[in-house]
Amino acid sequence: MNKNIYITLLIGAFFISMISSCSDDFLEVQPEGKPLESAYYQNQDEAFAGLISVYDLLRKNSGGFENMITMMNAGSDDHYAGGGGATDGVGIQSFSNYTQNSNTIPPSFWNDYYQGIFRANVLLQKLPDVPMDEALKTRFVAETKALRALYYFNLVIMFKNIPLILEPLTPANMYEQVQADPADVYVQIVKDLNEAIPDLPATVPAAEKGRLNKGAAQALLGKVYLYDGKKSLAAAQFAEVNGTPGQTNQYGNKLLSNFNDLWVVANRFNAESILETSHSSVGSSYWGNWGSSADEGNTVNVMVGPRGYVKIGADAPDLPSGWSFNVITQDLYDFMKDDPRFESTVLDIKSMKEAGKVNYTEGYQNTGYFLNKFTPRISDVSTGTGDAVLNYKQNTYIIRLADTYLMEAEALGASGARAQALLDAVRVRVGLPSVPVSMEAIKAERRRELAGEGFRFFDLVRWGDASAKLGPRGFVAGKNEIFPIPYKELENTKLVQNPNYN
Amino acid sequence: MHAQRLVSGVVTGDGELLIGANVLLKGTSEGTSTDVDGKFSLKVPEGYDVLIVSYLGYVTKEVQITSNSLSISLEVEKTTLEEVVVVGYGTQKKSVVTGAISSIKAQDIENLPNIGRVEHVLQGRTSGVYIAANAGQPGSSSTIRVRGITSFNGYGGNNPLWVVDGVVINDDIGFLNQSDIESIEVLKDAASLAIYGARSASGVILVTTKKGKEGKINVGYSGTYGVSAPANTLKLLNATQYAALMNEKSINAGGDVLYTDLSALGTGTDWQKAIFSDRAPKSTHEINISGGNNISNFYLSFGTQDIEGIVMPEISNYSKRNFRLNSTHKLSKIFTVGQSLGYSHQKSVGIGNTNSEYGGPLSSAINLDPITPLVETDPVRANNTSYYPETAFRDENGQPYGISVGIPTTVGQEMSNPLAYAKTRLGQYGVGDDFVGNAFLEANILKNLKVKSSVGGKMAFWGGEGFYPEFYLNATYANLKNNMSRSSNKLFAWNVENTITYGNNFNGHDVNILLGQGAYQDDNPVGLTVVHSGLPTNDYKQASFNYDIPASDKTGYAYTSEPHRVSSLFARVNYNFSEKYLFTGIIRRDGSTNFGANNKYGIFPSFSLGWVVSEEKFWVDNVVINFLKFRGGYGATGNDRFRKFSYLSTIGGGRNYTFGPEGLIIYSGSSPDAPSNPDLKWEETRQTNVGFEARLFEDMKFTFDWYQKTTIGILQEVVLPGYVGSAGNPFANVADMKNTGIELELSYRKRFNQLNFNASGNFSTLNNEVTFLGNGIDFITTQTAGFQSMGPVTRTQVGQPYNAFYGYQTDGIFQNYDEINAYKNAEGTLIQPNAKPGDFKWVDSNEDGTITDEDKVFLGNPIPKYTFGLTLNADYKGLDLLIFAQGMAGNKIFQGLRRLDILNSNYQTEALSRWHGEGTSDDYPRLTNLDENGNFGKMSDFYLQNGDFLRLKLIQLGYTLPKGVSSKLGIDKIRLYLSAENIFTWTEYTGYDPEIGGDVSGIDKGYYPQAKSYNVGINVQFK
Repeated sequence: MNKNIYITLLIGAFFISMISSCSDDFLEVQPEGKPLESAYYQNQDEAFAGLISVYDLLRKNSGGFENMITMMNAGSDDHYAGGGGATDGVGIQSFSNYTQNSNTIPPSFWNDYYQGIFRANVLLQKLPDVPMDEALKTRFVAETKALRALYYFNLVIMFKNIPLILEPLTPANMYEQVQADPADVYVQIVKDLNEAIPDLPATVPAAEKGRLNKGAAQALLGKVYLYDGKKSLAAAQFAEVNGTPGQTNQYGNKLLSNFNDLWVVANRFNAESILETSHSSVGSSYWGNWGSSADEGNTVNVMVGPRGYVKIGADAPDLPSGWSFNVITQDLYDFMKDDPRFESTVLDIKSMKEAGKVNYTEGYQNTGYFLNKFTPRISDVSTGTGDAVLNYKQNTYIIRLADTYLMEAEALGASGARAQALLDAVRVRVGLPSVPVSMEAIKAERRRELAGEGFRFFDLVRWGDASAKLGPRGFVAGKNEIFPIPYKELENTKLVQNPNYN
Repeated sequence: MHAQRLVSGVVTGDGELLIGANVLLKGTSEGTSTDVDGKFSLKVPEGYDVLIVSYLGYVTKEVQITSNSLSISLEVEKTTLEEVVVVGYGTQKKSVVTGAISSIKAQDIENLPNIGRVEHVLQGRTSGVYIAANAGQPGSSSTIRVRGITSFNGYGGNNPLWVVDGVVINDDIGFLNQSDIESIEVLKDAASLAIYGARSASGVILVTTKKGKEGKINVGYSGTYGVSAPANTLKLLNATQYAALMNEKSINAGGDVLYTDLSALGTGTDWQKAIFSDRAPKSTHEINISGGNNISNFYLSFGTQDIEGIVMPEISNYSKRNFRLNSTHKLSKIFTVGQSLGYSHQKSVGIGNTNSEYGGPLSSAINLDPITPLVETDPVRANNTSYYPETAFRDENGQPYGISVGIPTTVGQEMSNPLAYAKTRLGQYGVGDDFVGNAFLEANILKNLKVKSSVGGKMAFWGGEGFYPEFYLNATYANLKNNMSRSSNKLFAWNVENTITYGNNFNGHDVNILLGQGAYQDDNPVGLTVVHSGLPTNDYKQASFNYDIPASDKTGYAYTSEPHRVSSLFARVNYNFSEKYLFTGIIRRDGSTNFGANNKYGIFPSFSLGWVVSEEKFWVDNVVINFLKFRGGYGATGNDRFRKFSYLSTIGGGRNYTFGPEGLIIYSGSSPDAPSNPDLKWEETRQTNVGFEARLFEDMKFTFDWYQKTTIGILQEVVLPGYVGSAGNPFANVADMKNTGIELELSYRKRFNQLNFNASGNFSTLNNEVTFLGNGIDFITTQTAGFQSMGPVTRTQVGQPYNAFYGYQTDGIFQNYDEINAYKNAEGTLIQPNAKPGDFKWVDSNEDGTITDEDKVFLGNPIPKYTFGLTLNADYKGLDLLIFAQGMAGNKIFQGLRRLDILNSNYQTEALSRWHGEGTSDDYPRLTNLDENGNFGKMSDFYLQNGDFLRLKLIQLGYTLPKGVSSKLGIDKIRLYLSAENIFTWTEYTGYDPEIGGDVSGIDKGYYPQAKSYNVGINVQFK
C-alpha cells in the first residue's frame, strides 16, 4: 500500500517535470544587447538608423587608410604614393607604380561600397512596411537610392565589370551572381537617381548638413552621364545644378570668392559644396576601429602631412607630423607654379627646408612638395579621446560647384558661350583672365582647380589621356583603366577577372 | 570474555606460497596477512567460522574454519570478464557491452604521475584517443580528440564531452584530481554515444570518482617530490658562427662584411640557458579517508600540488588545492540519497606567450642574436642612454640587461632579453575556483524498477590580476604607462536528470530499459575587468588598486553571456539472451538553444548487436580462444557547439555617420550583421563500428574495432563574397568529412612463480578526409593556420585531411647557372629566370611554365595517422616496475621557430650546412638578406618535418615494505618509489617537442616543451 503511493507520486513527479522542462520556453534564449533583424525597422528611429548606416560609406572618400582620395591621387601623374617606404601600403604603392594585381588591390575598395549597397538594399526592402511619417519615408527612400547610385558609380568606374545587386542576396543565389554589362549598371544608376531627385529636398536645414539634396543628386547624375559618354544629358543635368555661371544656383550654391577658403577646416558645407564627406573629431577613432564603420575621422589629413616635421623659423607653418603620402610630382609643381591656387594646393616644404625654416624626414619618393589642401595644422589636431591622428575632422568634397562648372563645359563639347562662361567663372574666381574654351583649356583648368582631390586619374581615363600621361609609370592601355577584381571575389564565385589581370 | 581459538594456516596460489595475502575473519574487521612463508595465524572468537582470503590476481575465497590448521589454495583469477563498465546512466557487464568503450580503472591510474590534468592518463592507454599537450606550461590543458575530428568551427566542437559523476562539464576539467578517480570510460562509437545525443559526436568521457566501501576506515597518503628540466634544447648558432653567417647573408645581398673579427666574438650568449631551469621543483601531497557501513559510505580527500615550469619558473608555475567529499546513504529499503562534491583552487602564472613567434622567453631565446650579452658589462654601452634609457631593466648590480642594439645585426621587435621580459610579467597570475557536484535521490520502488532524480551543477569563479609596468625592452618594445588590471568571471551551469530503469531476467532473457529526461544549462559566464593605469609605482609588489588616481585613468568593462540550454528525452534498451545474443538500442531527442528555429530538436538513434560465439553450444572449449564476442553498431550523434545565435540575423550598430555644421554630432547607424540561417542545426556524425573482443590462451585479451564516422553538415563560417555586402559571415551546415580507423588493444597478464607480469598495448589509425565543402567549393580559407608574412600554411580542401599543409614543393637547390638555365618550360623560357645558385628549385606543379600561387600543393597531414602506447608492469616480491611509452606517427610538423621578418634572427645549427657554393647542399638554401626567390619567405616542404615520435613517458621502480615492517608502524602498506618521466623521445624533429596540440595541430612557433623529470614518492595505506 505504502509502496504504491510512493510509486504513483514518483512517477507522477517524474512525468510532470519531464513535460514542463521540455517546454519550448526553456529553449527560447534571446541575444542581449543586439536587436534581431526580424524585430527591427519597426519605427522611424530604427529606419533612420538604417539610413545612417547607408550614409556611413560616404566616409570612404577620405576615411581610413584605404580611402578614395589618396588612392586615386597615387595613381595619377600629379602624385606619387609616397609614405614611409616602398612597402608602406602595398595597395596604394602598387597602384602608383602600376604593378597592381588581384592580390594587391585592397579589397575594401570593392567590399565597402558593396556593404553600402547591401545596407541600401535592406533598407529599401524594409522601408515600405515601417510605420512612420510618409513624407519622411519618401525622403529616406530617395536618399537611399541616390547613395546606392553613388556607390555603384564608384564601383563601376573603378572596376567596370561588377555584379548588379538590388536586393539582399540569399544563400541560394549568392554564388550565382555574375558581372553585369556595365551599360546595365549605368542604366540602374540613372534610374535610381531619377527616382531620387524629385523626392529630395532642395535644401537641407543646418542641423542636417551632410544629407543629400536635389542638387547633389542632379550633380551626380550629370557626372554619371558624362562618364557614360551621354554628354547632352550630362549638360542638361549640370545646367540645373550650375545655373548662371558665377551666380548663386537654385539650391544656394555659389563659388566661394576666395579659393583658399575651400580648405579652411571650419568651412564645412560652404556654398560651393554640393556633396561632401562629413568627418568628426569627436568619434574617438582608434587604431582598432580605424577605417571601419565606426571611424568618423579624416585619414587623408595625417597621410599627406610631412614626416618628422620640425618647425624652426617663426614664419614656418605649425604642422603636426604626418606620413608623407601623395607627395606632389615635379610635373604638377611646374604646371602650377605660377597659378594663384598654387599656395593652397602645394605645400613647398622643400624650399622651407632649404631656407632653414623647417626640418623633416624625407619619406618614400620624396619631392618636398606636399598636398596643402589636406595638410593639417596643429590647431586641427583632435584633443579628444581616441588616437589623435585618426580624429581629424576636415570634410572632403565629393562634388563641388567648380567641378560641375568644368564638367558641364566639357559636356557641352568645350564650345559655345555657356562653356566659355563656365570656364571663365572658375578662372575669374582666382583672378585669372579668360582663355578661349577648348578641351585643352578645360583639361588644364581641371588639373589645377581640382588637384589632389582624387579626380585626376578618372579624368585622364575619361579623356583617353591616361596612356600618354601615365605610360611612364607603367600604365598599360586596355588594362590599367580599371582595377583588378580582388582575388577573394573570384574564389568559388562566377566572377571573372578583368582583362589582362591575373 | 569470549572463548577464542588460534587458527593458523598456509596460503598457496597456483602451487606457490603467497606472501602478504589478506586473511579476514568474515563479519569482523579482524584480520591478518601471510608472512614470507605464506603462513598466518589468527585468534578467532567463538561464533565465527569463516575466513575471507584474498590476493591480487587471485579469486577471493571464503574458507570454512574446519580445523585449527588450514591449508588454503587460491585460484588464479582467470579473467576480468565480470568487469563492469560505466555506459552513461548506468553500468553494464563488460562481457555484454556492444559498443566501443575504452576504460581505465583506479588501479591503472594510481601509480601514474600527476601533472595536474587528468586527461594525461588517457594518453597512450586508450585506443582511438589522441591527446597532445597544448603547452608544457604546468597545468596546461591538452588537445583531446576521440576518433578524429568532426567539426571545423573554433567553438570547441571537436572536444569530447566530459561527464563527471553524471554532471556534464564542457571542457574545463582542471578541477579534477587524478587520485580521486575510480574509473574513466571513453565512449567512442555511436552505439554508445547516442545516449548523449546532440553533444556526443566528438566522444564522451565519463569520469566516476571514488566512493567509500563498506568496511573499516581506510586512510591513505601519497606524496611525491620531483625536479624537472627541459628534455632537450635547440642547437643554435654561437656568436662566431652567427657573425659568419650574417656576413655571408649580407655579402650575398651585395652588402658589406659586417663582422671583421669573428673569433673575438667567442661563443657569446646562450639565451636558452638563461630561460631554462634544470631544477624546477614539483610536489604533490594527497590524503584520502574513506569507509562506510551498510547504510552510509563516504570518501573524503584533500590534495595539494605545486609545479614550477622549466621556462623561467618565476613567471611559469602552477598550484592546485583540491578537496572532495562523496557519500551515499540508504534512507530506507527504498530510498538512497547520495552526493558528490569536488572543489579546487588553481593558480597559474604563465610566461605570457607560448607557441607564438611574437615574443615571450622561448621565441626570444631562439631568435635573439648570441652577440648581445645577457647583462651589459661594458660601461660605455651601459651608460649610453640611447642604448639603455633609464627605464631599461637592470640587475642587482645596476647593470642593464643586454639589449640587441648598436651591433651590425640587431634583433628587435618583440624579441627581448628574457631576464628583462620576466620583470614585466611578475605579479601577473590567473586563478580559478571550481565547485562541481551533484546530489541524487534513488528509489527502488519495485524489485525491477528504479527511479532516480539527480541535480548537478558547476559553479566556477575565475579571473586574474596583473601589473604591467612601465618598461623599455628595446626601441620598439616599450610601455610608457604602467597599468594594473583585475578580471573576475563567474559561471553557473546546472543539469537536472530524471531516469526510470527497469531490469528483469526471465528464462535467459535479460532486459534493461532506461527512460530519461534532462535539462541542462551551461556556457553562461558573466564577468568584468577593471584597469587602473598610471600607478605611482613601478614595482609590482607595491602596485595596488588603492592608489588615488584620476577617474580618467580607470577603465572597466563587463559582459554577460546568454546561456546555452539543452532539453532532452532519452531511452535505451539493453537486451541479451543468455549473454549470448546482445542488443542495445538508444534514442535521444535534444533541443538546443544553438539550433535554428526550423531545427530546434534533433533526434539521435543508434543500435548495436553482439554475439558471444564462445557461449554457443557448438563452441568447443579450447586453449586458444577462451572467449570471443563479435559486435557491431550504427548510429547518429550530434554536435551543437558553436557560436550562439548564429541562426538569427542580428542588427549591429556602430555604422555611424556625422551630420550637422560642426561635425560634433555622430548619428548611430545600424544594419543587419549577417544573413540569418533559420535552418541551422547540429553537425551530424553517423558512425559504423564493428569489432570483436577475445581472450586468448587465458592470459591475453584482444580487442579490435573498425569504424567509419561520416560527419555531415559541418557548421562552417561561410566567407561570403564581398559583393554580398554583409558585415559578417553567416554559419551554415555545409561541409562533410569522414574519419575511418582501426583500433587494437592487447593485454597480457601472467604470473611466473612470484613474478607478476602485465603488458598492455594499443594501436590506432586515423584517416581524416574532407569530402564536401559546398557546391562548387573546392577549398576554404577559414580556420587555417598562418605563419607571419607567409599567410596560410594549411588549406582545407575536398579529398584532403582537414587543414593539410599546403605550399610549394622544392626540387633541390640550383647548384649553378647551368641548372637555372636548364629549368625551362615547354616554350623554352626559363621558369625561374631570377633565381641564383643556392636558391630552391620550385616544382612547377601545374606546368604552366611559371611559378605562381597555383603551384602550391598539399605537403602533408598535421593529424597523426597512428597513435600507440605500451605499458609494462612487473612485480616481484616487494619490488614493482612500471614502464610506459607512447607515440604518434604519420604526421608532419611545421617548424616555424625562426622569425622571418626579423632579418638578423639567429639560426639553428642546420644553417651551417646551408648552400654556400656548388655541391654544398641540396636541401638548405643559401642565406641572403634579399630573399628574392622566397627560399625562406614561401611556405614550402622546407618547413615541414616528420612528426613521428616514440616517447618513454615513465619508468617507475617501487618497493613495498614487507608487511612485518609496516605493520610494526601500524601501517597497512608502505610503498616507496622512484620515477623518471619523459626521459627519452625518439624523433627526427628539430624543434623542442614533437607533441604539439591545438585546433590545427602540428604548428610549432616556439612550443613550450614538456619537461623531463625525476621524482621520489611514497604511498602509505592505513587500514
